Amino acid sequence: MSSLDPRVNRLDFKKITDGETHTNSHLITWEVFHQDKRGKQVIHVGIVHAPTPDMALILAKEQYARRGKTTNLWVTKTSDVYTFATEDEDIFETTPEKHFRDPAYYKVRDRIEKFQKQQKQTV
Amino acid sequence: MYGSTNLSEEDAKRMNTTVEDPEKLEAFESRIARGEKIEPQDWMPVEYRKQLIRMIEQHAHSEIVGALPEGTWITRAPNFRRKLALIAKVQDEIGHGQLLYSAAETLGKTREQMLNDLINGKSKYSNVFNYPAYTWADIAVIGFLVDGAAIVNQVINSKGSYGPYCRALERICYEESFHLKQGHDNVVYLATGTKHQRAILQDAINRWYRPLLHFFGPTDKQSAHSEKLMKWKIKLASNDDMRNQFLDQYVPKIWELDITFPDPNLRKNNDGIWEFSDPDWDEFKRVINGDGPCNAERIAVRKFAEEAGRWVRQALINPSEKYQVPLA
Amino acid sequence: MSNALKNLLYKMADDALVIGHRNSEWTGIGPMLEEDLAFSSMAQDKIGHAQALYSILNTLFGEADPDTLAFKRQEKDLKSCQFVELPIGEYDFSIVRQFLFDHAELLRYDMLTQSSFQPLAQLAKKVKGEIKYHVMHGDTFVKQLGNGSEESKARMQSALNYAWPYALGIFEKDETDAELISEGVFAGEDELKTRWLQKVTPVIEAAGLKVPATDETKIVYGGRKGFHSEYLKPMLEEMTEVTRTDIDAEW
Repeated sequence: MSSLDPRVNRLDFKKITDGETHTNSHLITWEVFHQDKRGKQVIHVGIVHAPTPDMALILAKEQYARRGKTTNLWVTKTSDVYTFATEDEDIFETTPEKHFRDPAYYKVRDRIEKFQKQQKQTV
Repeated sequence: MYGSTNLSEEDAKRMNTTVEDPEKLEAFESRIARGEKIEPQDWMPVEYRKQLIRMIEQHAHSEIVGALPEGTWITRAPNFRRKLALIAKVQDEIGHGQLLYSAAETLGKTREQMLNDLINGKSKYSNVFNYPAYTWADIAVIGFLVDGAAIVNQVINSKGSYGPYCRALERICYEESFHLKQGHDNVVYLATGTKHQRAILQDAINRWYRPLLHFFGPTDKQSAHSEKLMKWKIKLASNDDMRNQFLDQYVPKIWELDITFPDPNLRKNNDGIWEFSDPDWDEFKRVINGDGPCNAERIAVRKFAEEAGRWVRQALINPSEKYQVPLA
Repeated sequence: MSNALKNLLYKMADDALVIGHRNSEWTGIGPMLEEDLAFSSMAQDKIGHAQALYSILNTLFGEADPDTLAFKRQEKDLKSCQFVELPIGEYDFSIVRQFLFDHAELLRYDMLTQSSFQPLAQLAKKVKGEIKYHVMHGDTFVKQLGNGSEESKARMQSALNYAWPYALGIFEKDETDAELISEGVFAGEDELKTRWLQKVTPVIEAAGLKVPATDETKIVYGGRKGFHSEYLKPMLEEMTEVTRTDIDAEW
């Protein structure tokens, strides 16, 4: 094969055999978490394929931290992450309605103003 | 760099005949109608999963195969600035491939299976990468116009319904804007340079014009329709609409450099629709079916990379660790 | 003094340029996607280091601009060691070269953070983190592949044996060495080589590989004096293929 790419012309294609290039064995995946600034949350950004945590970190660095600022990366095996089943999403359904947990629920200004008005009238 | 939403006739037929649990389908479709995203662990119709895998996988293949025509000039980039930009850009394409294969993996097809299917020809990649990069000017044109076309496609796809694909595309679009800027910079240097530079640029534009028109796929009249792909937000715009958007954004940027396109009929009508000569759709079909100038080389090189790297991957695999589908 | 300094800057810059160029040849065809990215970044870093070093030569010593220095010099004027010129070969050789070369780079730059020549000390402080990552990368891969399969172990050992006499050529001395030491610019190639052996030996052993015996007569010298392997000239010709089509053009 004669290519326009000199790199390709240097490859030794004789070494290539027929058949599938990938056997049915896989590297495991690691979930990658990124922190861009000290004090900020560490956020899930994607996965890498790697055999060990060391290599997962080494490889995650260039895929998930080659632009912008980074202070650290975390990795964990995909199989070590536990989640709720998606059909259980309904356990969260009424949460937004629990207004007693929200600061905005506690509004007393009206009451204070009404009280002050009354006080003035009595004086 | 490209996720085609074009259906084969056979797929289109099956999509309309597969029967799903009506209750689950209803919940799924109304979630999409509300503008919510689908996540990997959700129930989804068999055909939704299948079409998404096909599309994301094809997009991923396009990234790593797309790295090859541009890689042609890595060792010959003319100065520090161009050399660093080109290596970084080709690297990004590989990075995009990694992100996209990961997104497709969440749907249950492993990266290894996808790469096998690329090499054995079962799955496709964008036709545009089956054309050669003869001169340095091809790198400028690919960087500006092929990436420009890809952005049109990707920005639209990023509004789709599948969470992991949208997340990958958001990051990809951000990085593509660097590609576009460096490609434009390269085009402008050639266009405002010497006679020789202008000549190789014009020549490259002449050669890339048709592949660029082919990029978005056949005309709406010719392509198989699926209401479902639209309803499921896998396909979000028609081929003709995307092509028109591309021409609208990029043709003026080439014309302003006093460079032409090899088509006397290329013009914008009063209604905002671009008109152009028939770009030879038979050629498009020939190339997609394997008979383009570089199809054989692209697959051979990809196969070389996979095979030459096999001992590395095999040495890294720990057989006692069981693979699990990634989460997001 | 300025000749000795220039010599040091040139050999460092040329090494970085050539190995960066070589390693960039893997971009897009690496053994797995993640590693393709990592190897490419390291190639970009090296090319960046070359550019920074040529810039010092340009601004402080009145040499030509970095692009001219990198793209328009003759083969005999380059001071890179022969190790970095060799073709990328298969991944075993490329990863072994990356590992051996980057240990030398990290130590060299680390020593230079103490240099009496401030511009170099500053650059060394700036890029040390990058090279530290290169070393982490090399160590991790050498250990994994050395301890991996039978095939990978055999490949790594034979790549290491092949690379060894070339790698030792990194530390080729010339007449300027003594001056750099006495002026406190750089502690010298001998010192660097001693430290390098101390660093690479335990990693090679942890990888389950044998440190090749050093045969002084086989060490590949010459690069620092402008004598290069058959591979450098074609590489330079390839690098300048575009610029030679129109030498007046701005690319």
